[in-house]
Amino acid sequence: MVKFRRIGLPLLSLALVAAGCGGPAPAENTKTLTLWYWNRSLDDGLIQSVEQKFPGIKINAQKIGGDFKSKLKTTLAAGTDGPDIVAFNDWVSELFVSSDRFYDLYELGAKEIEPDFLDWKWNFGVTAEGTMIALPIDTGPTALFYRADLFAEAGLPSEPADVQRELGTWESYLQAGRQLQDHFGGKVKLLDNVKNIYTQFNAQSDRIYFSTDGEFIGDKPESSVKKAWDLAVQAARMKLAGNADAFTSEWNAAMNNGSIASFVGAVWMKEILEQGAPDTAGKWRVARAPGGDGNNGGSFLAIMKSSRYPKEAFDVIRYLQSPDNQIRTYKNINLFPSAAKALDDPILQEKEPFFGDQATGQIFAESARGVKPAYFGDKFTNVNGIALRELNSVALQGKDPDKAWRDALSRIRKELLR
Amino acid sequence: MGKPMLNPEPARVPSSRRTEGGLAARIWKHRKEYLAISPFYILFAVFGLFPIAFSMYLSFQKWDGIGRMSYNGLNNYRFMLTDPEFWRAVGNTLLIWIYSTIPMLFLALVVAFLLHSSFVRMRTLYRVGYFLPNVTSLVAVAIVFGTIFSNNYGLLNYTLNLLGLNSIEWLNRTWGIQLAISVMVIWRWAGYNAIIYLAGLQSIPTVLYEAAKIDGASGVQAFFRITVPNLRPIILFTLITSTIGGMQVFTEPQVLVGNDGGAGGGGLTIVLYLYREAFVHNYFGYGAAVGWGMFILIALFSIVNWLFVQGRPSHDQGVK
Amino acid sequence: MKARSILLHVGLTAGLLLSVFPFYWLLVMATRTTADIYSFPPKLWFGTKLGDNVSRVFENIDFFGAFWNTLFVATACAALVLFFDSLAGFTFAKFEFPGKKILFVLLLATMMAPAQLSLVPSFVIMAKLGWVGSFKALIIPGMANAFGIFWIRQYAQESVPSELLDAGRIDGCGFFRLYWNVALPILRPALSFLGAFTFIGAWNDYLWPLIILTDESKYTLQVALASLNGIYLSDYSMVIAGTLLAVIPLIVLFLFVSKQFISDIAAGAIKS
Repeated sequence: MVKFRRIGLPLLSLALVAAGCGGPAPAENTKTLTLWYWNRSLDDGLIQSVEQKFPGIKINAQKIGGDFKSKLKTTLAAGTDGPDIVAFNDWVSELFVSSDRFYDLYELGAKEIEPDFLDWKWNFGVTAEGTMIALPIDTGPTALFYRADLFAEAGLPSEPADVQRELGTWESYLQAGRQLQDHFGGKVKLLDNVKNIYTQFNAQSDRIYFSTDGEFIGDKPESSVKKAWDLAVQAARMKLAGNADAFTSEWNAAMNNGSIASFVGAVWMKEILEQGAPDTAGKWRVARAPGGDGNNGGSFLAIMKSSRYPKEAFDVIRYLQSPDNQIRTYKNINLFPSAAKALDDPILQEKEPFFGDQATGQIFAESARGVKPAYFGDKFTNVNGIALRELNSVALQGKDPDKAWRDALSRIRKELLR
Repeated sequence: MGKPMLNPEPARVPSSRRTEGGLAARIWKHRKEYLAISPFYILFAVFGLFPIAFSMYLSFQKWDGIGRMSYNGLNNYRFMLTDPEFWRAVGNTLLIWIYSTIPMLFLALVVAFLLHSSFVRMRTLYRVGYFLPNVTSLVAVAIVFGTIFSNNYGLLNYTLNLLGLNSIEWLNRTWGIQLAISVMVIWRWAGYNAIIYLAGLQSIPTVLYEAAKIDGASGVQAFFRITVPNLRPIILFTLITSTIGGMQVFTEPQVLVGNDGGAGGGGLTIVLYLYREAFVHNYFGYGAAVGWGMFILIALFSIVNWLFVQGRPSHDQGVK
Repeated sequence: MKARSILLHVGLTAGLLLSVFPFYWLLVMATRTTADIYSFPPKLWFGTKLGDNVSRVFENIDFFGAFWNTLFVATACAALVLFFDSLAGFTFAKFEFPGKKILFVLLLATMMAPAQLSLVPSFVIMAKLGWVGSFKALIIPGMANAFGIFWIRQYAQESVPSELLDAGRIDGCGFFRLYWNVALPILRPALSFLGAFTFIGAWNDYLWPLIILTDESKYTLQVALASLNGIYLSDYSMVIAGTLLAVIPLIVLFLFVSKQFISDIAAGAIKS
């Protein structure tokens, strides 16, 4: 018992002390910038180079795992000190309502570098009032990924140029799917899931759920939403999907086992595909997407108002996203540049063994140049989530598509009133 | 309270200054006791009571967690009651509860009986083995069961194929998701409940069974006339704990099929819905309202359970 | 009788296999490559890649950091709960003071308070206290709980003899000395259960740490594991190996305390 007492008390006090202790206090003369990003959203080596480039600045780079966005929003809600610099994904527009929590990058000198960037990407970070809360990192130009061997075996075109010419429209792509699936007796599906058709069709559009003044246009003829919906429903009816969602082990397994022959996806899917389906190396090719060029995803950097060193923070993000460093990042971790100049770099001409020595960089660069500027609005994620859930019910539960569409619209209207 | 309480009052304290003062003096005299029990009450007031009161307030507010709160009247509750997804979440939760609790408690009873039987060897091995799932983290369980119920490469589909049956895309079916979640719950809790039932069985005096045997009662009769009535309070206990647990299923679906509950929202339970609305979609006021809706459901459900178990015909006890 | 015995053991063993199989399956997958895990028919026997997979876990997440975080949080929770619960439980069991009955009923009533109600407000409180992202938010709110106090009180009433306390008083022990020197040693079995119970609960806790912890360097194992599962899906064998690593410590702990723990749980259920 005496022993217990000896160990017990110090342990207890240790626990109390340790629970209360915070991080070490920053030294006076170095300026510490805390950076929040997620795995592979920035090049780790490049981040490390910041401290050499800017003497007197210390970078405290924190990789946030799990659900990055809710972590960030949670921190904003908590009102506690967040990071100085924070990465955003393509949900940047959701944070427009909180734009007062971030520095207007125009005030910090962003105008100077604006000509370096693709305008459609740049404008994603600018609010309707004209404040710029986020600087582009990478882009997500889309294209068709397909298995050249399976396409050829099914009697479809297999060279990228031919695929683009003959399967250039969504209609011809779906029809080709029928031929492919007939050939393989149902063992191979044309595409991964119909939600992706919906997503990619909208990614090619410049009018989705909202007009620039915030009005809901998803039910109007100028919006791409209903057309995307009908196309996805058609793909579901033709049973062209393997019903595997991206970012799941199911998807990886289906790709690796060769039971899915193609999908339309952004350039960053290259990485996911290469890692998830290593056994299919050399068999994939990339062609311009059916329906045209589009963008899906791509991230940003912002500076929080709570930062004590906005000037320094801006210099750092400007450095991180300079055209040269974007090329370096592309080389190291495959993030596709948002700097227009970087698209001409020879590195994009390099052959890639996983894609049968095709230089896919060229395809994506052309796609990136063809993207139309779109406006997402701060409720995009919620609204899109509702539509996707209803679409999923059509695809998997056999829900009547018309009823699902009506349900989606009425739920979206309710959502907009919340 | 079986034993007499120690009474440290007058005789023990020689000091006569504060013996029979007012309430304040008596409280002062016992300040150490109050101090000893105070941490719980303080913590509960700060982290228990205050949040409950605050959530009541919050449920009438509109708040995205970042901007200002604004009064929202009954709108959160109205939205909740008219949101098909809320009702789907309620339905899913009830279904998963039924799919899991009934087989789980039944299996637990069976296991407890087998273990209770006198000629079982290595009882400790069985007890540890059956209990092991209960100490495993839910995240790990969900990952492992995800590979068992997988659509394409799953172990379960392989087993079906071996039996000459077709594969099923478990996680692309509403019921498949619910089944997978239920299996996880059963796997994790059947052993736990079996151990509890076993303890209950062991506390029934063997004399009762011997007497029944002399009266010529069969094993089945003895089961229904002796075992069931004696186990009733314990069954009630397990039923209530599994109701409270079952209403709060969250980790299994979240890890297995994500924040939307997977295909057709089959895995969207009430807590997952609450989590998604509050912490993913940032409707914090609404999340508080859903919390109250859920509280009422649990309360109703517990009462129904209680009535159900209590309300069984009581003449069974006559055999005793 | 013999046939019945065999049947019985067959039934029990079948149940046992079902109970243990997921652990076996986890172990098998952890020794395989990702392609093996995706293969159909599945590979049911051990592979040779365990070392590779485990070392990739160490490369990709700060496993030991998460391990120590979890160990720290779970130990601190258990230590504090033991201290405060036993102090209060002992007091309720062995002392008389005005309002005791009411206070105890109140304590029992708090067990009915719905935890999920307070998810959002608790988070707001943590934000106001500046505890978001800190272990304090995981440890302090739960460091005294009604269940533990109730449990200790039941145990202390039956096992701490009043005579012993009287003797202690005659020796000049004050209130705290009576608790620390006389009661605690006797309460040890109840404490070991409560400690293990709290430790396991804190170790496996997921939702609250998921909401509270922001900085990856402070992740507990469950949160780290979930994010591993989210981010590195393409390297599934690594995720599985990480899962295995996260599960092992608790299983080891459980095997150590299992016998006592199981009978304590059963006893607790019967008593309450």
